[in-house]
Amino acid sequence: MHEPILELTGLRKSFGALVATDDVSLTLRPGEIHALIGPNGAGKSTLIRQITGEIRPDQGSIRFEGQVIDGLDAAARARLGLARSFQVSSVIPDFTVLQNVMLAVAGASGNAFGLLRPALSDHRLTEPAAFHIEQAGLSGRAGVKAAELAHGERRKLEIAMALALRPRAFLLDEPMAGMGLEGGRQLTAILSDLRTEAPILLVEHDMDAVFALADRISVLVYGRIIATGTVDEIRANPEVRRSYLGEAA
Amino acid sequence: MRRDMTINLVIFGLLVATAIGAHLMGEGFTVTLATKAAIFGLAGVGLNLALGYGGLVSFGHAAFFGIGGYVTGIFASHAASGQPILTLPFTLAGSNEMLGIWPMAMVAAGLAALVIGALSLRTTGVYFIMVTLAFAQMLFYFAISWPRYGGEDGLSFYVRNTFPGLNTFDPIQYFAICATLLGLALLFTAVVTQSRFGLALQAARQNSQRTVAVGIRPYGIRLTAFVLSGMIVGLAGALYADLNRFVSPAMLSWHMSGEIMVFVILGGVGRLCGPVAGAAIFILLEHLLGGVSDYWQALLGLLLLAIVLFAPGGLIGIVTGSRRHA
Repeated sequence: MHEPILELTGLRKSFGALVATDDVSLTLRPGEIHALIGPNGAGKSTLIRQITGEIRPDQGSIRFEGQVIDGLDAAARARLGLARSFQVSSVIPDFTVLQNVMLAVAGASGNAFGLLRPALSDHRLTEPAAFHIEQAGLSGRAGVKAAELAHGERRKLEIAMALALRPRAFLLDEPMAGMGLEGGRQLTAILSDLRTEAPILLVEHDMDAVFALADRISVLVYGRIIATGTVDEIRANPEVRRSYLGEAA
Repeated sequence: MRRDMTINLVIFGLLVATAIGAHLMGEGFTVTLATKAAIFGLAGVGLNLALGYGGLVSFGHAAFFGIGGYVTGIFASHAASGQPILTLPFTLAGSNEMLGIWPMAMVAAGLAALVIGALSLRTTGVYFIMVTLAFAQMLFYFAISWPRYGGEDGLSFYVRNTFPGLNTFDPIQYFAICATLLGLALLFTAVVTQSRFGLALQAARQNSQRTVAVGIRPYGIRLTAFVLSGMIVGLAGALYADLNRFVSPAMLSWHMSGEIMVFVILGGVGRLCGPVAGAAIFILLEHLLGGVSDYWQALLGLLLLAIVLFAPGGLIGIVTGSRRHA
């Protein structure tokens, strides 16, 4: 058994009377894709945002590569290699693909304050950026403005940006959302390859993708994890079938 | 990109050509108008770094303009009277050397921008606008109620400060000084906005959440931009004080903040030479229409309205046909 890369212990977050995260503990092990599923409003995004540092849990603790990261802000966690994608594609619209990925390279390097050197001729930015653009399957699109990309390409751009962070773990928030059938298939293949870079905590509604990709699945309902297990265990779990999968399984 | 560069050169070239042409025809007053346009353009270039590239809509940049002006006025008046400005904790004598005054003006404006920025950048949107305005108004009222340097009446100094090897009283020579500094500020802006820092600043304007998610804290980036912006505007204030040989609280008032903002919006937000074009048009309108009617600013208002509604890229946007570039 390997040490988990990411370990949540007893996380709890409430907004007024609403308990969005209720005593959640889960681990992300090296090399795995751990899918987090659950109905709308189950608190999946709230949980992701506590891991990224955008919101603070009321209780509980998060360890990342053995280090307690509760006191770090979102930028510091990103620099440690906690790379995320957003539910709604989030890129810098007026930047080209290359500039977007260069921004991530600069962020990961911890040096975003170079004032005088032109970024576009700084090979310490452009070379890694070009590499990650290719890795994400966007070769030949480096000069295109992000705003002009198709939806699927923007997803790939987000993955290139995540890769540029030299990630130790990926947090992917519904990467399949809005992808067509073919795009979804392509993305599934890319995500499957990503696992060799770093383990993935995958929030996803697309059950085909989840069952194809996930090594383990956790089911979140009303802020609580009601089950964690392999694909087969989750498919067979009566409580999960009743509360979430229903006729889909 | 290349087209933008051409436009920048044309704008700057027109300004210089106007001044030289007027000088050759013996039109000293027109040279002074061109100088004023260069100085206001410099202030606009400074604000543009924060407003255009950083998306920081500061309604308090008159603070830095006025501080630059007052530093100049205070040094010059002490140089004339021979009294030191400070005796404690160290002796600081007055000066009428521009090369000594400019760094002082820029440092003072930069420090003020550091304090104002550090506090106001904790807010966003309309609150940011209001907080920056409030800080500038505080300085405005302070200047009014501080009798030592003229209070409400302002502070005159009778001799323009000096620059080694030049006669600063000659309009075309003073224009050369101002235009050179404007050129340097444009160069500085061009370099900075293409750098890593510029990338991060523009990214934070467009998508702050995404910028954080790649490990960059927008606050430090924005504060740096705000301070650099304040320093450039402070330098413009120093030049403006020397142009008029007079500083008054009006330089610190919210009208001034608004005017600097108008230069940027008229010319094109986030365009390198936009504020220079904006300032030149502003001065031109003031000169041409000001003679026709005291209410010329109503016409300026109409023009601004038209720009905001129909050409959000400003005058430069009309020429390049694009709204904005990264």
